Amino acid sequence: MARVRLVEVTKRYGQTVAVDRVSADIAEGEFVTLLGPSGCGKTTTLRMVAGLVEPTEGVILFDDQVVNAIPTHKRNVGLAFQSHALFPHLTVAKNIAFGLSVKRRPKAEIEQRVNELLAMIELEGYGDRMPAQLSGGQQQRVALARMLATDPRVLLFDEPLSALDRNLRDTLKYSILALQRRTKKTAIYVTHDQSEAFAISDRIFVMNKGRVEQAGTQLDIYLRPATEFVANFVGDNNALRGTVVEVHEDSNHRRATIRCGSLTVQAHAPGSIAPGDRVLAFVRPENIEVLQDGASADEPGLIEGAVEQVVFEGPAVRLLVDADGTPLKVTVSGVQRLTLLDAQRKRLRLRLREVSVVRDEAA
Amino acid sequence: MAHPTVTLSTRESVAPSRASLWKRWKGALIGPGLILPAAIVTILFSVIPLIYLVIVSFTEESSFFFNNPVYTTANYSTVFDRYLPHIQTTIRLALLASLVNLVFGYPFAYILVRRVRYRELVRTLMVFPLFGPLYLAFGIRYVLLPNGPLAPVLDFLGINATTLLISEPMTVFGMAMFTFPFMVMNVGTALSNVDPLLEEAAQTLGAKPWQIFTRVLFPLSRSGILAGFLMCFGWNLGVFVVPILLGGTAQQRVLSITLHQKGLSQFDYGLASAMGIVLMALAFGVTWLSLRFSRGALGA
Amino acid sequence: MSAAVAPTPTYRRALLAPRRISAGLQHAYIWLWLVLFALPFVTTTLHSLRAPEGGLTLESYRYVFGSFKENLLLSVEVTVATIVLNLFIAIPAAYAIVRHPIPGKRFILSTLNLALYTPGAVMGISLAITYAFLFDIPRTFVGLLGAYVVGTYPLMLVPIIVALRDLPRVYEEAARTLGANRLTTFFRVELPLLGPGISAGILLTFVIVFNEFLVTLFIAGPNTTTAALRVYNLTRTGFLPSTAALAATMQFVSFIIVLVFFKTFGSRYLKGTYLI
Repeated sequence: MARVRLVEVTKRYGQTVAVDRVSADIAEGEFVTLLGPSGCGKTTTLRMVAGLVEPTEGVILFDDQVVNAIPTHKRNVGLAFQSHALFPHLTVAKNIAFGLSVKRRPKAEIEQRVNELLAMIELEGYGDRMPAQLSGGQQQRVALARMLATDPRVLLFDEPLSALDRNLRDTLKYSILALQRRTKKTAIYVTHDQSEAFAISDRIFVMNKGRVEQAGTQLDIYLRPATEFVANFVGDNNALRGTVVEVHEDSNHRRATIRCGSLTVQAHAPGSIAPGDRVLAFVRPENIEVLQDGASADEPGLIEGAVEQVVFEGPAVRLLVDADGTPLKVTVSGVQRLTLLDAQRKRLRLRLREVSVVRDEAA
Repeated sequence: MAHPTVTLSTRESVAPSRASLWKRWKGALIGPGLILPAAIVTILFSVIPLIYLVIVSFTEESSFFFNNPVYTTANYSTVFDRYLPHIQTTIRLALLASLVNLVFGYPFAYILVRRVRYRELVRTLMVFPLFGPLYLAFGIRYVLLPNGPLAPVLDFLGINATTLLISEPMTVFGMAMFTFPFMVMNVGTALSNVDPLLEEAAQTLGAKPWQIFTRVLFPLSRSGILAGFLMCFGWNLGVFVVPILLGGTAQQRVLSITLHQKGLSQFDYGLASAMGIVLMALAFGVTWLSLRFSRGALGA
Repeated sequence: MSAAVAPTPTYRRALLAPRRISAGLQHAYIWLWLVLFALPFVTTTLHSLRAPEGGLTLESYRYVFGSFKENLLLSVEVTVATIVLNLFIAIPAAYAIVRHPIPGKRFILSTLNLALYTPGAVMGISLAITYAFLFDIPRTFVGLLGAYVVGTYPLMLVPIIVALRDLPRVYEEAARTLGANRLTTFFRVELPLLGPGISAGILLTFVIVFNEFLVTLFIAGPNTTTAALRVYNLTRTGFLPSTAALAATMQFVSFIIVLVFFKTFGSRYLKGTYLI
């Protein structure tokens, strides 16, 4: 139940920079996910919030309190680990009671709280079992109850579901979200799994090489990637290298026309893009429409290409299309996919939608 | 949603650094503090006594304990002159026992690692030698006594047990029994790190059993063999009770026994200390070598 | 329809196939050694049960709990005292070695292990000199205790270090986020989880101190003769069934304790130590 702020937080280990000037302002009750590949600094960032790692530079605040110098055990944060990290020598009830008992709360209060939490995770009557006697999902639920027992100011999750199998992951991620919504606590969740991040976050911070590449909602991240890394890391993408020919602005849109080899595409243009800029245009395979024969032939911006490969994946068909030398991945779902099974070597007309643009750093 | 940029007053950003400086100091002191009791015990009962041993080894007989000790290097010339055979016997017995360990322990370790499923039983019975050479030597001696439990069997086989009893082979065997588990432990660890697939691969490539040993197993377990051999050798250098119970006077001419006699019976502390220093130098040299070859349990 | 069907070739492994013989011989080799390991104990026990006029008797064990009782009691006392002191020394030291950066860790470790590599007779003579000349504790209980502690706490260190290294840091971190300070975390989470490693250390100390006679021979006096030293002294004078009874008792007690440990914790925590 606290606003969490990170100001230019940096962690260096000798010469290597694990976390590089990360800033964030997380509102009270907000559910934020740090998403990124392994080694991107997301776990280190989380551990700095927990106090397990001390920042080299920068400040971490809970509400208006600087917590840098406050040791972990006085921060009152709840942390869920990759492995459930239940104490193997203590029963389920004693595990849940641990935080309260080290704070020397009265026995009656502890017992009541433990029963309350056992009821909440639907494990009444399991209090006397040892953690090893529970299933993986039950263990993780006990870990959640243990972390909630002390009524922490912030909930921290360090890939809590990565050790579980897929079905369990799917149900548990919604339990975690429900728990957070019910307790209205600020939550920071670390994961490398984008479907997990998309399912439960209010806001996603995409991290790479110790830096935050982009912070935004699912829609921002997916449709308006701010950097090349975000465009490639989240979902599948076609990348087209090109030059901005012209920028067209109307009341609420800024559109750019981009020349990529022999192709011309229309894209959403962020304010920083101007004509003449070298850019990367991204279009998602599922945002490419395959036009049926009847569609109008003279619509501007349509692209024509020959199908080189057809892969039937069940719910979708993936096509590899050669558009005048530019390879394009196209994903078609719905009933239309069935009409494309024999599209090999045929020519198709494509409409590119939701094209996004970032400045080409390599140029 | 809130924007991720935050501004902050300087007061807030300065505060934590002083506390963390103290924390760093405290952190640096905790480690050495925790190790202090161990260090004190080691200094009092190991370092200081060894320093005294060195000093006494340079004094005449028991003069160190009187008001004006006589300093001399004569003890060392005596050790390397008159007692050279004792040094040789010590090394010979230890070397022979370690060789016996290697020759019999290697196949034991191999079979144990590759074939045996009742490993817990083997481990359990193998602790008997580790209770010490005293009980071993006592038991073996009793087995071979004229009225011992195996006397009828040995008589039937025409073996004169008493000639076995006070002999070099029996002494070496008794010493080897004590250190056998050390060899098995070292070689076994090395062998269990060798993938059985490698042997099978060699077999399918047409290697005969002895070729598998010389070309695959031996090179891959060499560090374990060396470590095991040196460990056995190091322990056996300090041999004391086995020659007393199983050997003759020839086998009893080892450093440990002699320094005990010189020191505690004849009160020639100078000579006893010099022998102790020589024996310790031998043992430390061997230990140093073995630590270089084994990946030691402590690693560090 | 029924053309000449070739009979299916059959093969039955011969009872005395080379593979079987080889496997049998290998097991026989292991068993030969197992018998040899146990033989001294078994024959010692048999000897202790032998009656002067033939037949079996427990008569000798009257000595064990009679004139040897003092020695046995001393052995137990000094062993227990050593174990307690070792715990207070080895647990903090292991913790420091695994969890704290210490300058010159390698050097410190080898110095701590100094006594471990010193041959018994050398340690004996050096302690005899120091006790007489410097500490003024020759032939005393304290003297024995000091020698045993310095000689065995490094052995206790090994399994505790191994257990501490195997212990995932998450337990510590979980306890810290739940509000436990360092000390509480150690006593309520880490120490219980180190149980098997600590027990292994206790076992090692017990087995060695209980049966130690060589260093003891140098520093013990008439009033501080441990049971193991008594066995040694008695072997010098003859091979009486009563001596065998004491030796058998010592081995039996040691073996039972090892057995109980193996049954409870397995041998995992003893890897790389004196006891396999």
